Amino acid sequence: SPPLPHSDTSSDEGERRDEQEKHKEKMGKKTLADVIQEMKTFLWNSEKRECMGRTAQSWGLILLFYLIFYMFLAGMFSFCIYGLLLTLSPYTPTYRDRVSPPGVMIRPYLHGFTIAFNVSEPSTWTPYVNSMHHFLQAYDDNVQEEKNIECPAGQYFVQDGTESEEKKACQFKRSQLQNCSGIEDPTFGYSTGQPCILLKMNRIIGYRPGYGTPVSVNCAIQKGNESALKSVDFYPGNGTFDLMYYPYYGKLTHVNYTSPLVALHFTDVKKNDFVPIQCRLNGEGIVNNVTNDRFLGRIIFTLSIGM
Amino acid sequence: EEKYTTSISKGLTSARAAEILARDGPNALTPPKSTPEIIKFLKQMVGGFSILLWVGALLCWIAFGIQTAQGVASAFDNLYLGVVLALVVILTGIFAYYQEAKSTNIMASFSKMIPQQALVIRDGEKKEVPAEQLVVGDMVEIKGGDRIPADIRLIFAQGCKVDNSSLTGESEPQSRSCDFTHENPLETKNIAFYSTTCLEGTATGMVINTGDHTIIGRIASLASGVGNEKTPIAIEIEHFVHIVAGVAVSIGVLFFIIAVSMKYKVLDSIIFLIGIIVANVPEGLLATVTVSLSLTAKRMAKKNCLVKNLEAVETLGSTSIICSDKTGTLTQNRMTVAHLWFDDQIYSADTSEEQTTQSFDQSSQSWAALSKIVTLCNRAEFKPGQENVPIMKRVVVGDASETALLKFAEVILGDVMGIRKRNRKLAEIPFNSTNKFQLSIHETEDPNDKRFLLVMKGAPERILERCSTIMINGEEQPLDRERAEAFQTAYMELGGLGERVLGFCHLYLPEDEFPDTYPFDTDSMNFPTSNLCFVGLLSMIDPPRSTVPDAVSKCRSAGIKVIMVTGDHPITAKAIAKSVGIISANSETVEDIAKRLNIPVEQVNKQDARAAVINGMELKDMTTEQLDEILINHSEIVFARTSPQQKLIIVEGCQRQDAVVAVTGDGVNDSPALKKADIGIAMGIAGSDAAKNAADMILLDDNFASIVTGVEEGRLIFDNLKKTIAYTLTKNIAELCPFLIYIIASIPLPIGTITILFIDLGTDIIPSVALAYEKAESDIMNRRPRHKKKDRLVNEQLAVYSYLQIGILQSVGAFLAYFTVYAEQGWLPNTLLGLRVNWEDDYYNDIEDSYGQEWTRYQRTYLQWSGYTAFFVSITIQQVADLIIRKTRRNSIFQQGLLRNKVIWVGIFSQIAIALILCYGLGSVTALNFTPLRVQYWFVAMPYAILIWVYDEIRKLFIRQYPGSWWDKNMYY
Repeated sequence: SPPLPHSDTSSDEGERRDEQEKHKEKMGKKTLADVIQEMKTFLWNSEKRECMGRTAQSWGLILLFYLIFYMFLAGMFSFCIYGLLLTLSPYTPTYRDRVSPPGVMIRPYLHGFTIAFNVSEPSTWTPYVNSMHHFLQAYDDNVQEEKNIECPAGQYFVQDGTESEEKKACQFKRSQLQNCSGIEDPTFGYSTGQPCILLKMNRIIGYRPGYGTPVSVNCAIQKGNESALKSVDFYPGNGTFDLMYYPYYGKLTHVNYTSPLVALHFTDVKKNDFVPIQCRLNGEGIVNNVTNDRFLGRIIFTLSIGM
Repeated sequence: EEKYTTSISKGLTSARAAEILARDGPNALTPPKSTPEIIKFLKQMVGGFSILLWVGALLCWIAFGIQTAQGVASAFDNLYLGVVLALVVILTGIFAYYQEAKSTNIMASFSKMIPQQALVIRDGEKKEVPAEQLVVGDMVEIKGGDRIPADIRLIFAQGCKVDNSSLTGESEPQSRSCDFTHENPLETKNIAFYSTTCLEGTATGMVINTGDHTIIGRIASLASGVGNEKTPIAIEIEHFVHIVAGVAVSIGVLFFIIAVSMKYKVLDSIIFLIGIIVANVPEGLLATVTVSLSLTAKRMAKKNCLVKNLEAVETLGSTSIICSDKTGTLTQNRMTVAHLWFDDQIYSADTSEEQTTQSFDQSSQSWAALSKIVTLCNRAEFKPGQENVPIMKRVVVGDASETALLKFAEVILGDVMGIRKRNRKLAEIPFNSTNKFQLSIHETEDPNDKRFLLVMKGAPERILERCSTIMINGEEQPLDRERAEAFQTAYMELGGLGERVLGFCHLYLPEDEFPDTYPFDTDSMNFPTSNLCFVGLLSMIDPPRSTVPDAVSKCRSAGIKVIMVTGDHPITAKAIAKSVGIISANSETVEDIAKRLNIPVEQVNKQDARAAVINGMELKDMTTEQLDEILINHSEIVFARTSPQQKLIIVEGCQRQDAVVAVTGDGVNDSPALKKADIGIAMGIAGSDAAKNAADMILLDDNFASIVTGVEEGRLIFDNLKKTIAYTLTKNIAELCPFLIYIIASIPLPIGTITILFIDLGTDIIPSVALAYEKAESDIMNRRPRHKKKDRLVNEQLAVYSYLQIGILQSVGAFLAYFTVYAEQGWLPNTLLGLRVNWEDDYYNDIEDSYGQEWTRYQRTYLQWSGYTAFFVSITIQQVADLIIRKTRRNSIFQQGLLRNKVIWVGIFSQIAIALILCYGLGSVTALNFTPLRVQYWFVAMPYAILIWVYDEIRKLFIRQYPGSWWDKNMYY
């Protein structure tokens, strides 16, 4: 009959197992030197003349393969992009649904929408004034007269003809901004605590704002005491964007196009306080109340004029 | 017996029993200590990629903290992202925990079998109590068929035999009496052990040990001391996690440094780092792997392999050595008549599982005589009420040989009980080890024949001694030397087949000497027991299962070595090994060669012998090196006469050869070996609870062939996991590239972190699970088992092919879609380059595009989301192609069939449906960063999807055409 398990033999065997396991553990643990040696062999195995597990020939082949593979991919990708560009018109993007209705921006723009200065300290407002002057250079009367034509006001300036034909742009002279033109008062009112702010509607190719009725601008306190903003003057006209400046035909053909502006002259704003102001565009097709986009058809900025 | 304060006749009092019960605890084995649930849960929370994601979440919150302090408007995005990442970790953790708990429950339900009852004498009365409540000192009554409820010292025994096989591995029944015969409790005859079974007879005894104090309990606790080996798939997954985490961290850190040196703000760089981590980590993959494994586990359960531990599914597939038991696993576990010898001729009997007739020549008169002896000289009986049960399945009261003879007779003659009734038994001497024969005297059924028939069976040489004549063709002939030699030859031949041989003889008692009323006395033996007439030999064996030879040859072609480990005699073991193909027909052992060449065993070159039969005694004296040598040199090995303790040594020997070892076992004493093995397989029917506890897998039908099916499933799941991982890794590059290009080329971000999560945990989940349903490729059972250390789940080829080829292809396709969306909205590719800083400037609300149009910040963001959606859709579309190419690694898709795996199509449709829902259904939910996409953008990446498929077909074609070539080595994963 087979040997029966005695309790003592089994414990013997148990001990032997333990020993073996200990031995195995010892074998399993590599010293740091071993690891470094292994790494060295991996990086350069002089015996087999292998670098990182491959011979020079093997590396050559694999690199060649990937060179060809990636060159093929790059070629195919370029070809696809080329094909894509062929389908695009250079004058008008295929879709304009994401860029319209138009957004609104202001000048001066010094990274941020808080215009804070102290009348008595010119250094606090000169940057704003410089920004305005710089921006308005393109609107200098002589530049406009030289490059652009006078258009009949009150109607869209539609230019028929082929798409590739160069389009004419209508004059928007700096002088139209009157008190905010910076011609009579080169400080745009900043030195007197009555700052001018220019409002610009984003350009969209082919867009006709207001569908025949000019878009106008109004400004109000965004929240808080209404009396903080007593009066605003709008130039030109009553703060409207004249139809003749639209539609825009795109950078390529409408080279000298200058966006029409509306100047806001804050003649009586509460001083020494942060006054949040929201200016909206009003007109048919204009959207100015989307929560997510606070620059769509409106703009919010803060005036803080110290005396 | 006062030591136990009990009384032999009255037993314990109930009060005293309760007292002892309180002291010793219930009579049950304590289950192995289990880890507390909360620890298990926390382990899931920090395992795998979770750490990386936690770091990502933490970085998000740090970024959020800093940004809020700086008053950045978009700071909350980071808070949300952090929360989402944390949620992802927690959800996948919960999922993995749930899966594990579910599989544990299966096992738990398995071990909760019907509570055992014991008949105990307490307060002077016999009572049925649950076996768990037995205490030391209880008097217990046992009868045939009972499981011994505790370690018991017998006080009264009558024909009691126990089956100790679950304890010692001996398959022979052991008789038990009240005599103290040996110092060692295991050897003495008056102790019956817990968990063994009483085969026949009755006994009364006193409980001396309960629960963990029993011999079995001690062995079981020894088993729990042997450490569990890490499963191969666990190692593989760890390896894979390391690779991916390594790539993620190194790319992350590299680009963090690049970003910082490119004068990005540190905070921005941290946000890039998060993006890179999220893009690189396949969040859904570990959950997918779990699901795939449990699907396979379910499938295996259907095929009678119950898997206790999910990862064991794959372990079985990488098995390179199976150490199999003989009894019950390779064989049918029942003695069956295999050969007959009468009329100087050997006849073979049918030994298959479902025999209904026997086809050998039954016309001889000798057979008639022999069959009569077989029928009458037999004490085994069918349990009543089994008339409709097939003969082979009927339950018999009696020992194994008698059962075999009874069934054999029943199959041929039918209604054995009726024959016995007609031939009334007058006297009987049961088998005992001194006589080595069994004898009975009967009336004959022929009313004209008044003679009595004396029938005898027993050890052939003993029977022959008692005979003077031999029956040939129904005629009694003198038993001369020639006849005796013929007998010897037949006896040796049958014995050489490893069969247990019994001799049969009879004698018609003369009517005149033994009249009707003759008083037969078995003690004084007042009847002849010599000069009998020898009739024939019958040999019995526990025959191999019919499915086993096929399964063994399947193992062989799959490169798996099958080693037989048995407690049986070497000759029997070798015979069975030969008949099932463990030792193939033309291979020889050292001894065979020695015999053939007629030289001493020592002179034989051991390399010449393919097969080896090792005796347990030899094994005992072997050193580790010698054992290793045997395991290496011989491909066909049988270990005979081994004790279960030696099984452990054999397993360890195999594991030293770097083999993945599967071990089968049923006895309690097998449990250390089962634990030590890479995969322990317990027998569902014959297995003891301790073995089932120690095992990783339970064979519900105890059939070796089921192991082979399991191996196939295991290999399949390994292949399929490879495919799943390859599929999942591919798109990680398509998710990562956008970040890298975003940092380097300063383009608007092509895909957002949230969107990436929607791919990883949304569109990609069902397809990657679907790959688990993929059918096997044609070569699955014809290749070698995978090498534990060389054939990794994620090897260099897989990573390189997925990352640097298909992944890059996908990225290019997705970028094409991205550039298309932007270009058609007015942002040409050249404008986009270097645009990032202005693009992301919240104050810059009139950026000019390529056409001179001016965009607000939000308009740009919305366009950016459209870009995300286009990128997402393109990845999804290309993942469909990726899914299809991953169906096979070597065969063409057309060989594999596109429609054979229907679940893949479910995957593809789900993928597209989820993408559609995200794009059009949830496109208005701003937090998700999806926008309704123009229909044509769905098709932009289509050429690249087709390219992926064509390229992969070409790859597979070259692999098939040029095996072993440079291409095969570098492209086959």
